[in-house]
Amino acid sequence: MTEIETFYDVLRRQGISRRSFLKFCSLTAASLGLAPELAPQMAYALETKPRTPVLWLHGLECTCCSEAFIRSAHPLASDVILSMISLDYDDTIMAAAGHQAEAIVDEIVEKYKGNYILACEGNPPLNEDGMYCIIGGKPYLDQLKKAASNCKAIISWGSCASWGCVQAARPNPTQAVPIHKVIRDKPIIKVPGCPPIPEVMTAVITYIATFEKLPELDRQGRPKMFYSQRIHDKCYRRPHFDAGQFVEAWDDDSARKGYCLYKMGCKGPTTYNACSTTRWNGGVSFPIQSGHGCIGCSEDGFWDNGGFYNRLTNIHQFGIEANADDIGKTAAGVVGAAVAAHAAVSALKRARDKGGNA
Amino acid sequence: MTTKSAGTHVEQAIYVYEGPLRLWHWINAFAIITLVVTGYFIASPLPTVAGEASDHFLLGYIRFAHFAAGYVLIAAFLLRVYWAFVGNEHARQIFLPPVASRHWWGEVWHEIKWYAFATREPKKYIGHNPLATLAMHILFIWGIVFMMITGLALYGEGAGMGSWQYQWFSSWVIPLFGNSQWVHTYHHLGLWLFIVFVTVHIYAAVREDIMSRQSILSTMISGWRTFKDARPADDEHS
Amino acid sequence: MTIQTPNGFTLDTSGKRIVVDPVTRIEGHMRCEVNVDSENIIRNAVSTGTMWRGLEVILKGRDPRDAWAFTQRICGVCTGTHALTSVRCVEDALGIKIPENANSIRNIMQLCLQVHDHLVHFYHLHALDWVNPVSALKADPKATSELQQKVSPAHPKSSPGYFRDVQNRLKRFVESGQLGPFKNGYWDNPAYLLPPEANLMATTHYLEALDFQTTIMRIRTIFGGKDPHPNWLVGGVPCAINVDGVGAVGAINMERLNMVRSIIDQSIRFVEDVYIPDLLAVASFYKGWLYGGGLSSKNVLSYGDIPDNANDYSAANLLSPRGAIINGNLKEVHDVDLRNPEEIQEFVPHSWYKYADEKKGLHPWDGVTQPAYGLGPNAKGSKTNIVEIDESAKYSWIKAPRWKGNAMEVGPLARYIVGYAQGNKEITEQINFVLKTLDVPVTALFSTLGRTAARGLECQWAAHKMSYFLDKLIATIKAGDSSTANVDNWDPSTWPKEAKGVGFTEAPRGALAHWIRIKDTKIENYQCVVPTTWNGSPRDNEGNIGAFEASLMNTKMERPEEPVEILRTLHSFDPCLACSTH
Ligand code: HEM
Ligand code: HEM
Ligand code: NFV
Ligand code: SF4
Ligand code: SF4
Ligand code: F3S
Ligand SMILES: [Mg+2]
Repeated sequence: MTEIETFYDVLRRQGISRRSFLKFCSLTAASLGLAPELAPQMAYALETKPRTPVLWLHGLECTCCSEAFIRSAHPLASDVILSMISLDYDDTIMAAAGHQAEAIVDEIVEKYKGNYILACEGNPPLNEDGMYCIIGGKPYLDQLKKAASNCKAIISWGSCASWGCVQAARPNPTQAVPIHKVIRDKPIIKVPGCPPIPEVMTAVITYIATFEKLPELDRQGRPKMFYSQRIHDKCYRRPHFDAGQFVEAWDDDSARKGYCLYKMGCKGPTTYNACSTTRWNGGVSFPIQSGHGCIGCSEDGFWDNGGFYNRLTNIHQFGIEANADDIGKTAAGVVGAAVAAHAAVSALKRARDKGGNA
Repeated sequence: MTTKSAGTHVEQAIYVYEGPLRLWHWINAFAIITLVVTGYFIASPLPTVAGEASDHFLLGYIRFAHFAAGYVLIAAFLLRVYWAFVGNEHARQIFLPPVASRHWWGEVWHEIKWYAFATREPKKYIGHNPLATLAMHILFIWGIVFMMITGLALYGEGAGMGSWQYQWFSSWVIPLFGNSQWVHTYHHLGLWLFIVFVTVHIYAAVREDIMSRQSILSTMISGWRTFKDARPADDEHS
Repeated sequence: MTIQTPNGFTLDTSGKRIVVDPVTRIEGHMRCEVNVDSENIIRNAVSTGTMWRGLEVILKGRDPRDAWAFTQRICGVCTGTHALTSVRCVEDALGIKIPENANSIRNIMQLCLQVHDHLVHFYHLHALDWVNPVSALKADPKATSELQQKVSPAHPKSSPGYFRDVQNRLKRFVESGQLGPFKNGYWDNPAYLLPPEANLMATTHYLEALDFQTTIMRIRTIFGGKDPHPNWLVGGVPCAINVDGVGAVGAINMERLNMVRSIIDQSIRFVEDVYIPDLLAVASFYKGWLYGGGLSSKNVLSYGDIPDNANDYSAANLLSPRGAIINGNLKEVHDVDLRNPEEIQEFVPHSWYKYADEKKGLHPWDGVTQPAYGLGPNAKGSKTNIVEIDESAKYSWIKAPRWKGNAMEVGPLARYIVGYAQGNKEITEQINFVLKTLDVPVTALFSTLGRTAARGLECQWAAHKMSYFLDKLIATIKAGDSSTANVDNWDPSTWPKEAKGVGFTEAPRGALAHWIRIKDTKIENYQCVVPTTWNGSPRDNEGNIGAFEASLMNTKMERPEEPVEILRTLHSFDPCLACSTH
C-alpha cells in the first residue's frame, strides 16, 4: 500500500501552504468553539489519518439529503469523498449494482467491525412487513439492521432519518419510523433538516474525522454546535420583529423592505437550526432572506404542525381541526353567553323572590 | 369571632383572608391581566409601525412586559405557596380540596344545584364554597402551574441552552410536547383558559356577593367575611 | 414461452433469469429482472419500483397552499419541479394569475434545475457506464492533454501537468485499497470501450463537474432561499424585488441579479466547454452500440413548459415543445389535453394498488391510490424475500399511465423528438449538429445514446434560456413593474366551495402533471403522474410494456452476471423511483 491521500494533501494540492493550513485549523477550531490549543491536534489528524469507511443507506426518502451533501461549498463533496472518508456504499453514486453492491455491506460490516460509520438517509417503513421499501428483494429494515450491527455510530441525515419527515406525516400510510425507533444500541447523531444545510453535513463528518470523537449532542440527539439556537435567535430580520414591523401580505411594501415574516407564519421562533447563521449553499441566502418564512423543516413533526402560513399548530380533537384561537374564542364566547344568561336568570329570580318576600 | 348587632339583623364577621393573601390576590390579578393582554399581542402583533427599526421597540416592550409580569406572577405564586404553610386554614383551601370526603362532594353537588337554580337557598361558608374551591384548584392552581412551566420553557428558548430556564424547563418540556411549536400552541391555549376563568370568577364573586348569605367582594379587600344571617356555617371543618 | 405485446415486442421468458436489485446510480429504489437467451441477448425485461411513501394519501385534507412543500419532497433530485407543478395546479383550480416577474423567476429556477440535474446525471449517475476510472491510471497525461485540447480548445484546464496531478491523486486513491464509490465496479468488463486517455479526461471532469455543480443551484438559493427544496408560493414567488428603495439590500437587487448573471455565464461555459465535448467524445467511441431505443421510435409524449409570457399555458407560448407522437409517425404530432378524461389514464392490474374495476384506467382527477402489496403465484421466494418476481401478476409500486391507451416514453429525448418533428428551429439545429459531428443517421437518436445526447443538448438549451429570462426580468423591472405575487385569492374565504385544476411542467426526466380537487378549502384528491411513472411503468391491462422494459429488449450482454448494459440503458432515462411512486 502506498501513501494515502489525506485532507492536508487535498489542501496542498490546491496550492495552500502549510502556514495557511495551520491557520485554517486554528480558525476552524475557533469557529467550532474549541480552545486554540486543539488546533495542532486537528492539523495532525488531518495530515495523517486513513479514511473511515462510511456506509450510506437510503430508505424511504427523496435523496435531497444526498443532493444537499454534494452542494457543500466547504469542504467540497469531492474532497470529502476522495480524501476524508471512504464512501464504500451509497446506492446513489456507487458503480456496482445488484449482488456486487450488496456484497459491499457484508464486507464492511465484517472487515471494519466497530470502525465504520453508518449514514442513514430516509427511514424504514414497518407496515406490510417493511415491503414499502425493498432492497435486494427484502425489506430495507433488514439491510439497515445488518449495516448497523457493527457500526461505530450512526448519522441520521435529515428529517426523515431523524424524525420521520414527510412519509411519516399523518396518516403515515407506510408506518415509516425514524432510525432511533428501530436501532437502539448505537450512538445516533441526528442532523435534521429537510434537507440539512450542506455545510453542516460536511462539518459533522469532518468533525468526527478530525477530532476522532462524536459531537456533543443535546437531549434530542442533535449536535449542539449547530442546533442549539433557533433561527429567530440569530435572524437578521429580528430588529423588525422587536420593532413591530411585519410583512402583512406577500409582496407588500414591508416585504420589499425586508420586514419580519412572523405574520406570514414564519417558524423561525420555534425552529432549531443554523440557517440564519451559516446560511445556505456557500452562505448565499436562507429561506427568510429570500422572502419566505421558515417552515420549520428541521423540527420533529413539522408537517403536521398546521399550515405553513400559521404560526401555531392546529389541534386535532373530536374529529375537527382548529387552531388555539378558534378554540379559545369559541370557549370564551360560549362561557360569556352562559354567564350573561345566568346573570339574567339570577336577576329575574331575585326580583321575583324579593317581590314574593315583600 | 366577633358579633355585631345592626338593627334587627344579626351579622357575624370572621377574619378569613390575611393581609399577605389579599395582597397576593391583587398582585396576581394584575399580573394575569397584563399577561393576557401582552400575550395576545405577542401572538397577534399590532399593525406594522412606520420608520426605521431602530426607532421602535414595540413588540420588544410588549414581550418585556409579558416576561416581567410572568416573573412577578411566579414570585408571587411561590410566596403564596409559602403562605399556604404558615397562613391560616383558609390559605390552604384552594391547594388541598378534601377530595376524599364524600360529604364534601355532596356539598359540591348542592352548590351546582344552587347555580342551576335547582335549590332555593345557598349554603353558608366562611372560606370558599366547595364548588369555588374545586374550580380554583383545577383551573387556577393547575392552570397557573401549566402556564408558568410552559412560559419558563419558552423563555428558556430565548435565554439559550446555558440558562437555568432552559436547563430546568425547556430541556424536558419541549421534547414532552414534541416540539417548540406545540409548547407555544398550548401556552397560547392557556390564554383562553384564563379568560374563561376570570370571566366566571368575577361573575361568580359579584353574584355571590349579591345572592349568597355572606360577603364576598369586600372580603378580598378587608379580609373580613360578614354574614347575612346567624345560622351556623356549612364549611367542612368549621 | 413467448408473448407478443400489443405495442410490438416479443417477450420470451424461457432463458436464464437475471436479477439486478438494487439498481444503483439512480434516485430511489428499483429492481430489474431480465431473461437472456443462450447468446446472452435480453428477451424479456421486468422493471419494478420498490418503494412507496403515499404522498397522495398524505395530502388529503390539507391546505392547498401547502401542497407545494409536500410534493416538493417527492424528490430532492428534481427538487422544485413538483413544487412548481403544484402551485400551477392550485392556481389553475382557483383561477389565480401570477405577475410577469414571477413567471420569469420560476422559469429561471426550472431551467436551472434542468441544467444542474442533466449535468449531475451525465457525470455522476451515468458516466461510469461508459467511462472506466481504473483504466485512467494507464493514460499518458500528455496524450490526454492533447485530446482535451482537440475536443474542447476553450477549456482552460488542459495541461499535461494538470492531468498528471489528477492521475496521481487517482492512483493513490486506488492504491489505498479504499475504492469508495468505485468499489466492486465492472472495470475489466469488455463492454468498456474508451481508451485510457479518454477515461482520464472524463474522470477528471467527473471531479470538475462535482465541484462546479455546487455553484449552479445558487441561482435557486437566491430566489428560493435554499437548495435543495427552495421555497415557492401560490400566486407568484416569495422573493420580493426592490432594486433601489429603502431595504433593497435584503431583496432581489442589483447584486443578486449580478450573481445570477455570473452563474448563468459560468454554466453556459461549463456545458459548452466540458459537457457537450465529453458527450460527443464518449459517444464517438460507442457509435456502434445502438441498443436501447425501446419506445422512443414509437410513442413519445411531452406536455411542454417554460411559458414565455405569464399565465398562458397554450402550446404556442411554451418554449419547450408539447405534443404526442404515436406509432413512430413523426409526420403527425398530436395535441395533448390533460383535462380530457379519455387521454391520460392510470392502470393498476400489474401495480401494487387496488381499483374497484382493474380493467379500467382512471383519469387523475378521479384517481385512486390504495396500496395492495402481494406477489403473483409464479413468484419465487416469499413475501419478504423476493427471489424472482411474477410479472403476470402485480409486480411494482409504479402505476401504469397511458395516453389514449398507449405506453409512452417521456424525457429529454421525447421532447427533442417532438420538437424535431414540429420543426422547432433551436432543437433541429442542435440535433443536426450532433448527427453531423458523429456522422450518424437520424435513426441513431432512437437509442440509449440518443437519450443521453438529447439530455446534453437540452442542458445547453436550458442554460441559454436562463439568460433570456434574466434579461426579461430586468426589462420588466426597468419598465417599472416589480411585483412578484398576486394575493387576491390568498385568503381561502375567497375560494369557491369546490374547484379542480391541473398543473404541468417538463421535469428533467419528462412530462409531469399534478391534478387537484379542492373542497371546502381543503384538498379532496391529489394525484401526480410523474415522468418515471411513465417510463418505469409496468405492464397494463392489455399487456403493453413500459419504456424501461421496452428499451432493454434485444440488448446483448457481454457478461450476464455483470449488468453494465442494463445499467447503461436504464440510466439513459435517469430513473427516479421516489418520483415514480411518490
Ligand atoms: C386575573 C384575575 C383574577 C384571578 C386569577 C383571581 C384569582 C383568585 C383566586 C385564586 C382566589 C382564591 C384565593 C385564595 O383562596 O387563595 C380568588 C378569590 C377572590 N377573588 Fe379573585 N382573581 C382575579 C380577579 C378578581 C377580581 C377582578 C375580583 C373582584 C371583582 C376578584 C374577587 C375575588 C374575591 C371576592 C375572592 C374571594 C372569594 C371568596 O371570598 O371566597 N378576583 N381570586
Ligand atoms: C396567565 C398566564 C399567561 C398567559 C395568559 C400567557 C399568554 C401568552 C401568549 C398568548 C403567548 C403567545 C403564544 C404564541 O402565540 O406563540 C405567550 C408567549 C410567551 N409567554 Fe406567556 N402567558 C402567561 C404566563 C407566562 C409566564 C408565567 C411566562 C414566564 C416567564 C410566560 C412567558 C412567555 C414567553 C417566553 C412567551 C414567548 C414570547 C415570544 O414568543 O416572543 N408566559 N404567553
Ligand atoms: N421522474 C421524475 Fe422527477 C424528474 N425529473 C419528477 O417529476 O425526478 Ni426525481
Ligand atoms: S429529510 Fe427531507 S430532504 Fe431529506 S430525504 Fe427526507 S424528505 Fe428529502
Ligand atoms: S423573520 Fe422569522 S425568524 Fe426572522 S425575526 Fe421574524 S419571526 Fe423571527
Ligand atoms: S425551513 Fe428549514 S431550511 Fe432553515 S430557515 Fe427553516 S429550518
Ligand atoms: Mg400518482
